[in-house]
Amino acid sequence: MTMTRRNWLSLTSRAGAGILTAGTAGSAWGQIFRPADVAPPVVQTLATACALCDSACGVTATVQDGVLTFLEGLAGDTQGGGGRLCGKGAAGAAFLYDPNRLKYPMKRTNPNKGLDEDPGWVRITWQEALDTIAERFRSYIDQYGPESLLFVSRPNPDVFTRLLNALGAINRVDHIDECYTADKVIQKYTTGSKSFCNDFENSRYMLLFGWDLVAKSKLVFTRGVQQARDNGAKVVCFNPVYSATARWADEWYPIRPGADLAVALAMIQVILAENLYNLEFVDNYTNFSLYEKETRAHFQSYTLEWAQELSDVPAGDIRRIAREFSSQGPAIAPAHKKTLCANYTNGTQLCHAISILNIFAGTIDRPGGRYFPRSWEIPGVDAIYKPAAYPAKKGRRIDGRDKLPFADEAGNGNFSTLADGMLNQYPGMIKAAFINFYTILGFPRPLRIAEALNTVEFTVVMDVLPTDTAQLADIVLPHITYLEANDIVTREYSAIVPQVLPRRAVVPAMFEAKSIGYVSLELGKRLAPDYFRKPNGDFINPTELLDEKAKAAGLGANFAEFRDKGLLTREEAFVPRTTFAAPGGKCQIYVPQFAARNLDPLPVWKQKREIPTPEYPFYYLTYIPAVHRRNTTQNNPILHEMMPENAAILNPLAAARLGIKEGQPVQVRSRVGSIVLNAHLSETLRPDCVLVAHGFGHQSAALKLASGRGARDGDIIPDQTADDMVREGNFGASAGIMDAVVTVEPG
Amino acid sequence: MYDYGWLLDPKRCIDCKACEAACKQWNKVETGVNLRYRQVRLQESGTFPQIRVQALSMACNHCEDADCVQVCPVKAISRRADGIVVVDTSRCIGCQMCGKSCPYAAPQYHTVTGKMQKCTMCFDRVDKGLEPACATVCPTGALQWGKWEEIESKGSPAIEGFTPGQNKPHVRFVTSGWGIR
Repeated sequence: MTMTRRNWLSLTSRAGAGILTAGTAGSAWGQIFRPADVAPPVVQTLATACALCDSACGVTATVQDGVLTFLEGLAGDTQGGGGRLCGKGAAGAAFLYDPNRLKYPMKRTNPNKGLDEDPGWVRITWQEALDTIAERFRSYIDQYGPESLLFVSRPNPDVFTRLLNALGAINRVDHIDECYTADKVIQKYTTGSKSFCNDFENSRYMLLFGWDLVAKSKLVFTRGVQQARDNGAKVVCFNPVYSATARWADEWYPIRPGADLAVALAMIQVILAENLYNLEFVDNYTNFSLYEKETRAHFQSYTLEWAQELSDVPAGDIRRIAREFSSQGPAIAPAHKKTLCANYTNGTQLCHAISILNIFAGTIDRPGGRYFPRSWEIPGVDAIYKPAAYPAKKGRRIDGRDKLPFADEAGNGNFSTLADGMLNQYPGMIKAAFINFYTILGFPRPLRIAEALNTVEFTVVMDVLPTDTAQLADIVLPHITYLEANDIVTREYSAIVPQVLPRRAVVPAMFEAKSIGYVSLELGKRLAPDYFRKPNGDFINPTELLDEKAKAAGLGANFAEFRDKGLLTREEAFVPRTTFAAPGGKCQIYVPQFAARNLDPLPVWKQKREIPTPEYPFYYLTYIPAVHRRNTTQNNPILHEMMPENAAILNPLAAARLGIKEGQPVQVRSRVGSIVLNAHLSETLRPDCVLVAHGFGHQSAALKLASGRGARDGDIIPDQTADDMVREGNFGASAGIMDAVVTVEPG
Repeated sequence: MYDYGWLLDPKRCIDCKACEAACKQWNKVETGVNLRYRQVRLQESGTFPQIRVQALSMACNHCEDADCVQVCPVKAISRRADGIVVVDTSRCIGCQMCGKSCPYAAPQYHTVTGKMQKCTMCFDRVDKGLEPACATVCPTGALQWGKWEEIESKGSPAIEGFTPGQNKPHVRFVTSGWGIR
């Protein structure tokens, strides 16, 4: 068949929108095995946004004859992956085409629930699934009130939040207490807003307290750190492990776990004693002068020698680093996910101390510092279709978050206290659970969450894959992957200028998979129809809603127009803030709002909850490896092959003492449980630590690759109670997922 | 016509394995059969806390005097005019001589098909003016690809753990700059 103009046009229309380059890209395979009389392959290259993690790097997808064949970075994506991808992103097609995906809605026929029970799935229609869920939710709300519904999900999309608001549902939890709730609480009162944005590019000095996002291959940050190093900036890293982030540091200190706080407090002490803080910034934009006397007196006792004793970081180095941090140009100390803010129970204090260091450096919302994102405003559903007033949210918080007013205000729920709430505080209160894209593996003590879920009468799980949690469900709903989704994605993590990019379905949704947005709207229609109508009385249509958003945000006449434009950037000069969103319009070092609630207005030393004892002589550290996204990618064939299971990583000195050899099975035991996995010996970590990758130990037999591989790191991480948090002054609700000590013995 | 080669800058490698994933995806290399054309290798040296970790993304080095080309009894392996060493699997008899002769263990045996496979330097992409898949995605520049005459002068022929043989491998290593311990 020769290429005529007519053929070309028909191919163009088959391919739809997008850049069409027939036969000029795509794998050799498709071409080699194509019979000579068949038309050349139709190859599209489509711009979209990754969603393997929240960074949303721009992606160019190659789709050949309707099959996604390749993913690479999107050229010009200056604030995402920089036109590149990480391993997870590059392996995304294997997630889309995972043969183990949930394909259609199913209901359970085996009344016995458990990780080892065969649920006896029976395929049902979407209609039946949605009707059943709505009917059950309605009956629980009527009988027990909206507090009887538990939603385990991120708050997005906006139509999902509308559903919760319309129902008056009070109980939504997500994993953010394991990530950054503490920093969110601290940032609100010290600088005004949570800030993940780090202008590493323009920084001259980077102080990393456990911040390990290079090792997690978060390209939004990796790019900047590397550029700064190329420009001669200095990086100092405190981390018990010599990770990929530590490899990028000029100085690495294998700090004692949990003692970052001591070092940060001692640095503040040096900066105050030697008046090294940025006078211009501190005088004009902070409340320091109002509380100077208390503040100076407060930090006096945090001496260098005291900090050295606790942290194993030499006193002289702490002093020198404090001086360098204050004098070598724009300096930054990032604090974000998988920094210590979540990992140790003293994380709230640490986040406060780190925030003060940044304020003293005078780089809050300044070049080279932590800044507030210049995001492209995209109106949500409530702005497009204004709802009637939502009912007041009444009832009891199942995770006890309401005992922690500042964490409560931050709006996230607690993973670490959920099991206690369901089993001990309010047993039987939760009648129905809706779990969206979370597995029990994400919790401390996953089996306790499984036990808690078994007290629930009706559980719905929506996910891409048949996770362990899905095995406990009464109804499972297949979710689409990000490669089958349309959305408007704004830059949040690296946003010096407003930038927005389309996420588009590069292939049609496979099987009967749908989005959580679809489910929210369908349940909304059934349960609270008045909240899901447009002004003309018709129900909200998701396609139309996306079009309205695109139009209102100035992205195009509709979503399709924006989608075809691709990445949009609004070139604006970066104007540093002169008023801050913290109370009083200034950055707060001393936080009077904390004092008013009898909490520490300035960061104080607190030891992490658990420290080694003769019975449990090791610190237990967990990490998220670069090639996996939490617990969601272990079944991806490409990523699975790279890292099929986790190991107990031990320093050879410790291993020799215990008689443990490379590859040998070992038991790692804490006060709440034990796991068995193979030892891996490495000189990269302290001899008093054992390091285990998170995300392994899936049990669901339906995950053909991941099932039974590796150990569940969470089995030995204590969960906690809201009262523990209150008692320990953990008012930022750190999950404490690294606050365990363990013993290790040959398995 | 140019020759091509790899430039590795281990200080920049964060072990994200984007190169491996892109290679698998583009070349449709089967998973689960122990075939990895490209692999990031971590090498630790020293003792805690004086520790050094070197990360190198290694694949076939497309040697000028490739042992595999010479030992193959059925001439299934050849070096293209642009220097890319390729295996013609239709001729391969699976004797594994190439894998055994290669100092870098680049040719790998597919236990199901009984054929040898290895890095193709994505010649199908190169022929279209594109970079190999691995270098296209590498987020840090730890793995670069280019014309050999340009790459050759940019780095050292040897690095800890890699001593080039007489076969003139087309790989160079950046051994200077920040982050070197």
